[in-house]
Amino acid sequence: MAKNEKKNILIKSGTIIDPAKGNEFVSDIYIKDGIIAGIKENIKTGEDDAVKIDAEGLIVSPGFVDMHVHLRDPGSEDEETIETGALAAVKGGVTTVACMPNTNPAIDSDALVKYILEKSQDAACSILPVAAMTRDLKGKDITGMGILSETGAAGFSDDGKCVADSRVMYEIMRYSTQFGLPLILHEEDCFLSEGGLMHEGHYSSMLGLEGISSLSENVMIARDIMLARKSGARIHITHLSTRGGVEMIKKAKGEGLNITCDVTPHHLFFNDSYLTSFNTNLKVKPPIRSEEDRKALLSGVKEGVIDAIASDHAPHLDTEKNTTFKLASFGTIGLETLFAAAYTKLCLEEKMSISQLVNSITILPAKILGIDAGKIEVGKTANITVIDTDAEEEIKRESFISKSKNSAFIGQKLKGKIIYTISKGKLAYMSK
Amino acid sequence: MNMLSKKSIVDAGSLEPEDIELILSNADSFLEISRRDVKKVPTLRGKTVINLFFEPSTRTRTSFEIAAKRLSADIINFSSSSSSLKKGESIIDTLKTILSMNVDLIVIRHSDSGTVKMIDRFVDIPVINAGDGKYQHPTQALLDLYTIQKRFGKFEGLKVAIVGDFLDSRVARSDMDLFEKMGMEVTIVAPTMFLPEDYSEMNVRHNIDEVIKDTDILYILRMQLERQDRKFYPSVMEYNRFLTLDMKRLEEMKPGSVVMHPGPVNRGTEITDEVMDVGGTLGEKIAIEEQVTYGVAIRMAILYLILG
Ligand SMILES: [Zn+2]
Ligand SMILES: [Zn+2]
Repeated sequence: MAKNEKKNILIKSGTIIDPAKGNEFVSDIYIKDGIIAGIKENIKTGEDDAVKIDAEGLIVSPGFVDMHVHLRDPGSEDEETIETGALAAVKGGVTTVACMPNTNPAIDSDALVKYILEKSQDAACSILPVAAMTRDLKGKDITGMGILSETGAAGFSDDGKCVADSRVMYEIMRYSTQFGLPLILHEEDCFLSEGGLMHEGHYSSMLGLEGISSLSENVMIARDIMLARKSGARIHITHLSTRGGVEMIKKAKGEGLNITCDVTPHHLFFNDSYLTSFNTNLKVKPPIRSEEDRKALLSGVKEGVIDAIASDHAPHLDTEKNTTFKLASFGTIGLETLFAAAYTKLCLEEKMSISQLVNSITILPAKILGIDAGKIEVGKTANITVIDTDAEEEIKRESFISKSKNSAFIGQKLKGKIIYTISKGKLAYMSK
Repeated sequence: MNMLSKKSIVDAGSLEPEDIELILSNADSFLEISRRDVKKVPTLRGKTVINLFFEPSTRTRTSFEIAAKRLSADIINFSSSSSSLKKGESIIDTLKTILSMNVDLIVIRHSDSGTVKMIDRFVDIPVINAGDGKYQHPTQALLDLYTIQKRFGKFEGLKVAIVGDFLDSRVARSDMDLFEKMGMEVTIVAPTMFLPEDYSEMNVRHNIDEVIKDTDILYILRMQLERQDRKFYPSVMEYNRFLTLDMKRLEEMKPGSVVMHPGPVNRGTEITDEVMDVGGTLGEKIAIEEQVTYGVAIRMAILYLILG
């Protein structure tokens, strides 16, 4: 790699949040050849070629880890690619992405895991492929989880779908204990949710939109907790959306089960009353739920029942969203607004500390995935995000660099702007 | 110049009381015109209305067509089945074509909830919702209200029972919004599968016999049991037992009470043949034909108030 690509970087006087050590302090960080060479006050480099970042009054955080992202590659490269998804990630301060296997073809084989790993080498951030639990995500034949984990799968998931057959799920859980990788579970009883367009409740009834009962998620969480208790599997419930789910997971954790979970910023931000606009960007799965659920999710994060915050970045073409609510596809993009949306709700409105938020998007998801990330340490490749928590921005369609523009946050005012992202040792993003 | 407080009529709930009053009072004079020998006035000469129907409907489309013609407006019918409008193909494109023809008002029917609201945001000209999915059918609610006014001369305190598939009915939703706004007491009579998961905040009964003696207006919804997306309701026989209006039940209704239905009736399912064909004093209870007549007057009033 050419030297100018790995130009040395000096971050001056930033407020460093180090979740690994659990402290917050003002210091400089010097990055030499992509490696963190020093963390201390008043670093004098004496080098002219070091890029100087004045971070006074700014937060310096480990690069974020987003454990639930759809990169649409292979198969739907018109919506997103590994390259564009990674660029969107670093714009959002994210330096590690776990990508979901519901591509076309699905990431259910050794060759496809390799494809992602190879194609990711030049990407702006680190990309970890999550492999399918069942072949072609059909919920029937279990994938070669042994070989897939050796090749480099970061975990297993049938995201987008749920394994309806309890026996298959049980065998997946039992088999997964041999490899120690997490099972990332999209919890949805497809019979209960069939035909549903939004959360079943007062607003679905008012709007004449078919409802998706909270039961659809809760029934599956209950089942999978029972299966995990028996099998000893390490399960991770992704995009948790219901109050009932938070309660069940809290109990299961109290019991000592190996269970973790994440929530998306959009489930923390919106409730189903926003659907009265019929805004198709708010058509997501699981659906945006009631205010009661949203409140429970917020407390779940604050109490630590919910471990991680992940975007469920789901790019879709305009033609898939610029249609009737019924015909529109499910999903919102979220990489570029991950921090700001969560910060605005959790820290500004709910008064949660910024270090707790940083934990939930760095060290905690890293731990769930079993990777060495989410830290700022001398001797390690630099993955660092610099944030201005005072900067406010109205989210505009034009501001997205993701290939798709279907953001639920368009029109919302969010605080907390990513100013610089250093990813894989390089300055990967700088705000204008 | 639009005499109503909003550009368009998208849902019944957001109609202001003054708008409702204005529409109902104007309907009277248009009803009078409809009863003349020459049923045409030049009020909207030179105006163009388009009937944009993405879902087939002879009744509502015809009603708007007659209303526009009696006001001397030009009316263009544009039908396109929404199923042929595939995912990825935009309604907006269809609309752009229509807008380039310089029309003054669009009447829209669509099979998907919320579509008219979406279209209204996109276009500058007035839009009238002629029914979208399971969401709203505001002109139906207005003509229902007008029918009630003609029969009772008041709204306050009247007891209405809406019977049938509440969950899937845009008529029920629009009626409930408007009826409650006018001070009527609304009860929904429906089995659990035609109700939202939680109906504890709603006034609900499951059996028509619980309301039949006491209700002023029995509003019966169209019931197509064979067309349920997923068949949860057991059978017509079961429906007849608990929800169908038959002679015995009609006879139990109190003096002065009426039976309404948005049409067309599925004879034998929600109303028996016998009831549909009954004459005499009992027959006078059935207000279904009046609803159709008043529908034209209401739509004339709306077109006039928006475009006149
Ligand atoms: Zn999912
Ligand atoms: Zn997902």
